[in-house]
Amino acid sequence: MTKESLMNFYLDYIQPLFKNRKSLIGLIILLIYILMATVGAAVIPLDMNSNFAERYQKPSLKHPFGTDYFGVDIFQQIVHGSRAVISLTLLASFLAVLIGTIVGVARGYLEGIAGKIIDVIIMVFLVIPSFPALLILSAIFMDKDLNVLQIALLVAIWLWAPLAKQISAQVLSIKTRDFIEASKILNMPLRYILFNDIVKLLIPYIFINFVMQIKGAMEFSVGLMFLGLAKFDPTHWGIMLNYALYQAGALYTTQGFHYLFFVILNIVLLIYGGILLSQGIEEIFNPRVRGNE
Amino acid sequence: MNYFINRVIYLLAVFVIAVSGIFVLVNNMPGDPAYGLAVSIAQQRNMQIEQALEIARSMMGIDPDESLLTRYGKFMSNLLKGNLGYSAFYNTSVNDIISKSLPWTIFVISLATLLSFVVGIFLGALAAQKRGTVIEWIISTVSSIIQAIPPFILAVLILFVFSVTLRLLPLGGAYPVDVEPSFSFEFIYKMFLHALGPMLATAIPQMASWTLAMRGNTSQIMEEDFIRFAEIRGLRDSVIARKYIRNNAVLPLVASLAIGVGYMLGGHTLVESIFNYPGIGFYFGKAIAVRDFGLLTGLFTLIVIGVIVATFIADFVYSLIDPRVKLK
Repeated sequence: MTKESLMNFYLDYIQPLFKNRKSLIGLIILLIYILMATVGAAVIPLDMNSNFAERYQKPSLKHPFGTDYFGVDIFQQIVHGSRAVISLTLLASFLAVLIGTIVGVARGYLEGIAGKIIDVIIMVFLVIPSFPALLILSAIFMDKDLNVLQIALLVAIWLWAPLAKQISAQVLSIKTRDFIEASKILNMPLRYILFNDIVKLLIPYIFINFVMQIKGAMEFSVGLMFLGLAKFDPTHWGIMLNYALYQAGALYTTQGFHYLFFVILNIVLLIYGGILLSQGIEEIFNPRVRGNE
Repeated sequence: MNYFINRVIYLLAVFVIAVSGIFVLVNNMPGDPAYGLAVSIAQQRNMQIEQALEIARSMMGIDPDESLLTRYGKFMSNLLKGNLGYSAFYNTSVNDIISKSLPWTIFVISLATLLSFVVGIFLGALAAQKRGTVIEWIISTVSSIIQAIPPFILAVLILFVFSVTLRLLPLGGAYPVDVEPSFSFEFIYKMFLHALGPMLATAIPQMASWTLAMRGNTSQIMEEDFIRFAEIRGLRDSVIARKYIRNNAVLPLVASLAIGVGYMLGGHTLVESIFNYPGIGFYFGKAIAVRDFGLLTGLFTLIVIGVIVATFIADFVYSLIDPRVKLK
């Protein structure tokens, strides 16, 4: 890439993100959590030893988010859990977008019986209720120790289908344009038409969808951990939520309210960052939906 | 007519593949469905667990030597007769459980859909027309924040605030245990009160997404040339807002309404489990917990049928209300 094309890329795709208020705030929120997961987790120690003298302490300078049922600092757990939460969410979103793009482009490009078969496969994943299916699938693997990539894949399997359907519609409309005909007449190889002509045009669209998947991926992975259906890092926020509600009974004692509150606050704030960023990107590339500026 | 035949064959293929996939998934879950019953038999009759397992299996009609393929064949032939299978845990047919629980789910979902759609359309149109004002900012920000709350967390929050802390809503069930179902005013009032928690947990996220979708559609249509033209023609603003903008913006949403209802059937699982509301989602959660494979497969099948029918209706409705779309 030349210096000039890098500059153009910056002006076209990066700079608008800083100028739009929504995407800027979204980026800042996401950046804070990424810093928390990288720098924060390295700097702040995690002490999981129970200390019953300090259980259910209210937020203070010593414990910014208070302590939990076992007297463990909640802030430390949130910081260390953010690594698991963010890596799982980003990986699951990435995998969902990857599968969705490949299947969607294939469906849009292929004609005849092959296209029909892919169409049926997409539809099958659309009609199966995804969260219940995710629960069953993870129950099958519950006894095994899965790594981040494997859990992310379990989640992504139930997220890609709507994207594949949208991408196939996009490809179908790009396919009828003249320059694709030109490439075909010039006898360009299929690989060239797919990657240079079609996927290149879809890149901004695919990027928007990657950001949009964050909500779904977060919801699914937190839900999975919340129900205790996957063994993973005990500081994952979904598992913390499970402890807060069911092990410590925070729902029925006012004492533990801050425990529940801070776990939920962090989950919602991280998803909100993703939503704001995707709304901002949508406004940038589709000025008609631009609202309050 | 040709369109319908093609469409029906296509959806039938999707149905058969989806249901077969679910059957394989469910039957590969770990855990012995007879184990729970076997433990209680072993305790009652004071016998070895192996012996009790055998008795439990024969009571539940499970043959451990039967292959997955034979069971699949049985399931499919039952399905053809409209029989969704047998629940080992509840010791009754899945159809029985569905006829008992589906009305509650439909009751909650239809209330939630009606409420969220009407309020969402109203708020979305308002936000688009008040573009650039505080009203728009509040509506869009609140809707976005609601969208950031996972539905099951929202359900937990509602339960915590209204049932545990304020004690305004009951903690579970569809109606109080000590009241006989009847058409009395008191019973109907209690029934609504029990449905309110799950209804709000379903309706609030839906409301937020209808609002944002309606706002987006409305602001797109407000930029269209025919709106300019209507303004130049000197039509009153209220007529333009109602007949030209709102009707055109609602149109695509009406079609997604049917699909939304279909998906809500599946998304309702956790909400009903959290509220202990005896709809199909509650039985679904229970079936996962006790490994009731028959009940799980049956409920999954029901939801898939619901989504497929909803998709079909949505296509059809869309072609009816938008003459530009021709079914081919």
